[in-house]
Amino acid sequence: MAPRLPAGCWRQLQQPSSLLNASPKLQTTTLLRPSATPSAPFSHTARRSVKYGWSTLPKHARPTRFNQVTAGLPSPTTGPAAAIKRRDHTTPLRTGVLAVKKGMTAYMGKTGARIPCTVLQLDRVQTIANKTRAKNGYWAVQVGLGDRRPDNVGAPMLGYYEAKGVAPKQILAEFPVRSAAGLLPVGVQLLPDWFHIGQWVDVRANSRGMGFAGGMKRHGFKGQEASHGNSKNHRTIGTVGPSQGGGSRVYPGKKMPGRMGNQRVTMQNLPVLMVDNELGIVVVKGCVAGPKGCIVKIQDAVKKPPPPQAFIERTRKVLDTRFPDAEEVLEAARKKHMELKKARQEGRIELLLTEGVVVAESDRAAPAEVLA
Amino acid sequence: MNATPLSRRPLGCLKTSLRHVRQQKVLFSRSMATAVAAKAQQKPSPDALPDHNFFRLTDQKTKKLRSAFAVYTPPTALRGPPTPTSKNSKPDKVVPNAPIHGRVSGLVVVPSDPMPLLHAAQIKKMDPTGARTALFAKTRNAARVGDVLMVTHRRGGEPFAGVCLSIRRAGIDTAILLRNHLSKIGVEMWYKIYNRNVAGIEIIKRRARRARRARLTYMRQPKHDMGSVADLVHAWKKTRKVLTTRGAAKAGAKAAAAKAAAAAAKGKK
Repeated sequence: MAPRLPAGCWRQLQQPSSLLNASPKLQTTTLLRPSATPSAPFSHTARRSVKYGWSTLPKHARPTRFNQVTAGLPSPTTGPAAAIKRRDHTTPLRTGVLAVKKGMTAYMGKTGARIPCTVLQLDRVQTIANKTRAKNGYWAVQVGLGDRRPDNVGAPMLGYYEAKGVAPKQILAEFPVRSAAGLLPVGVQLLPDWFHIGQWVDVRANSRGMGFAGGMKRHGFKGQEASHGNSKNHRTIGTVGPSQGGGSRVYPGKKMPGRMGNQRVTMQNLPVLMVDNELGIVVVKGCVAGPKGCIVKIQDAVKKPPPPQAFIERTRKVLDTRFPDAEEVLEAARKKHMELKKARQEGRIELLLTEGVVVAESDRAAPAEVLA
Repeated sequence: MNATPLSRRPLGCLKTSLRHVRQQKVLFSRSMATAVAAKAQQKPSPDALPDHNFFRLTDQKTKKLRSAFAVYTPPTALRGPPTPTSKNSKPDKVVPNAPIHGRVSGLVVVPSDPMPLLHAAQIKKMDPTGARTALFAKTRNAARVGDVLMVTHRRGGEPFAGVCLSIRRAGIDTAILLRNHLSKIGVEMWYKIYNRNVAGIEIIKRRARRARRARLTYMRQPKHDMGSVADLVHAWKKTRKVLTTRGAAKAGAKAAAAKAAAAAAKGKK
């Protein structure tokens, strides 16, 4: 489709031109360009306005970057971005929690059903930090459980907790989340109502360590016969590989005696039977690896649909109402940490402790208020 | 905003001035929004920080203070020699069973052993009257190992009676093991006492003397096997019938009705 021309152009076409006496075809083509018309009195008049013509290109169209290496190629299937996209549907929307396995019992249903279940307790589970795509390359929430005596914590970690404004934790763990929407404010406590009854969770824990075990116990080998000339080799594993035809070597990955257990075991898709904030427990159906008192990770099940969006939003709102000043606390803790860090570096921490006052450059006027 | 350039413009330039006003509107609204945000983003007050103490790192040899870190745990939870806190901090109060974090942003502290509490809550739900708990409590009147018990099912069926070989106490999961002989074959059944499917448990016969074992597994041996408890159940049922008049009255009424019906039939004939 030919572009519409402004009226001025038509007027010029109709006027007999004294300057251009070439063929009529050439004449029209030249005259179609208003900028080339020397008849205009001021040739430097702005020509970016609508009345000087327009283009049929979309408004902010940019030329194709045809000379780039990746022009016309599909998006890469390797690299950090591709890896995150690939793991997208197997990454939970929300963070999980740390818990302690407290033991197994039975859940008695009202219709006479008896369901074996495991009791997991959330002991002062707090968010400690957020890992972001921009800074760390992935989205995750760092969560801490329980508490730890400060004399059992190294100086670097003492500083870390100091900057977060939380007491030292027994253990820290990261839970990957799908996007920034899954990140949480630092320092908030996650209670069992983070999960709802009936939802599916994946529970991870280290299994009981069995120590050094033989082939029969560790891999279920048959062992050897009791008689027929067998001598002192009743529970040994026998041969470990073929002879010359097989290369006369032991193949990699050959099952042999060794350390058994104490490996991470994931129980997938366990339904949540009970949540109790007062007892701090999440009761899941079935068994969970590890002995009583072991630390487990509970997160929304990967192979089931995530909890309903309304529930996710509600839990977030509950967190905000329970800890409205989480941001302020974190900010204050960071500020204090910077002050103390400076004092430590300058060697005036002892003076600071004896005087009991932190004097920052900005707060020299009111030193008493700084150390609350 | 500076209004002077607007006034200097020609009055007829309505389009331009309108556009200007539109831009100004955006600017005004934005400035208000930023003003609110600035108010919310005020300097964090020191009150926002939870209670804390200083943990001191001392050099082992020189016994000099090497460094110190703020630890957001109340002083009672700290171990070792008490460290002098700041002048402004409150004196340390040792409150037994106090939540370790106290007012720290409302952190909830949970009981260290939730299992007994969970069991209690579950038992309260499944046994509101406390009858089942009382039957197997460690009291004089409760059922004990060696007693002959009868379990009735909720969904009908023949009640199972047998001698109680053991009581496995596990809170809500408490169970009893009954042994009987059905058609001269030894049969053992486990019953969860708090299960809804267990409608009732009755004591048929108490053991004459207290058993001196917790688990009477020796009763599986032919020498000690009690055999069938059917006769005991029969005797118990008889005593029940004697004691209750309702069943007898019902039976009498039934018999009378049958007699009347028979008489009516005879009359018709």
